Amino acid sequence: MNEMKLSFLSKAENEPFARTALIAFLMPLNPNVEEIMELKTMIAEALTNAMIHGYEGREDGIVEVSVRYDAQAMVEIIVKDCGCGIADVALAMQPLYTSKAYLERSGMGMTIMSTFADEFHVESSAGNGCVVHLRKQLHGQCEHALQ
Amino acid sequence: MRHQMINDTLYFYFHGDFDNLAVQNVKQLCIDLIHKHKPAVVKMDFEDVSFIDSTGIGFVLARYKQLNKMGARLVLCNLSRANQTLFHMSGVFQILSHERNGVKL
Repeated sequence: MNEMKLSFLSKAENEPFARTALIAFLMPLNPNVEEIMELKTMIAEALTNAMIHGYEGREDGIVEVSVRYDAQAMVEIIVKDCGCGIADVALAMQPLYTSKAYLERSGMGMTIMSTFADEFHVESSAGNGCVVHLRKQLHGQCEHALQ
Repeated sequence: MRHQMINDTLYFYFHGDFDNLAVQNVKQLCIDLIHKHKPAVVKMDFEDVSFIDSTGIGFVLARYKQLNKMGARLVLCNLSRANQTLFHMSGVFQILSHERNGVKL
């Protein structure tokens, strides 16, 4: 079992930093190329949502990320913001739904997370920030990763 | 991002991670270049793009809408298999075509 936490300002340049740091932390699990792509994308979506939607582009919010994995290579990622929250989580989950079409958002972030994660859920309500839980079982590049 | 205009086609060549930060940096430039050149076709080359997220998809869809209003066409070029997976998920290939190769800078 291993665990890491990161806390940083909601600046756009911190998203690639945090995404890269999380992937680097998970490298001892020897993830395969497809798993790395899926992890990177779902992390990017969760972080971008916190910055664009949670903090509505403000750069003074705090985004907290924790990641842990166990001996069976089950990875758990939690992304938390203290921003404006989501009034209707079910609506936000709809593919192609976006509250920010004028910012050229695609409305695919939640769909991507739910596709690439084995478990995905969002805790949020209006005015109370947002916590995104993601779990993914890694299988890695070689047999011993499964043992 | 590099670009070139050949005949009536405007080419954009993206590279690296095409994420929220990268899109913020190229969005206005792309909008302005399309306005300036008024191309009949825009080809976006993703050969050197290692990573795309939903922000990239939003950008592509927004340029499709911009071009559609002008009666122009958008073509995506040289997406990696992983990047194609993401675009497939959003259904963009129902309205956009994808091609290999194309003109190199």
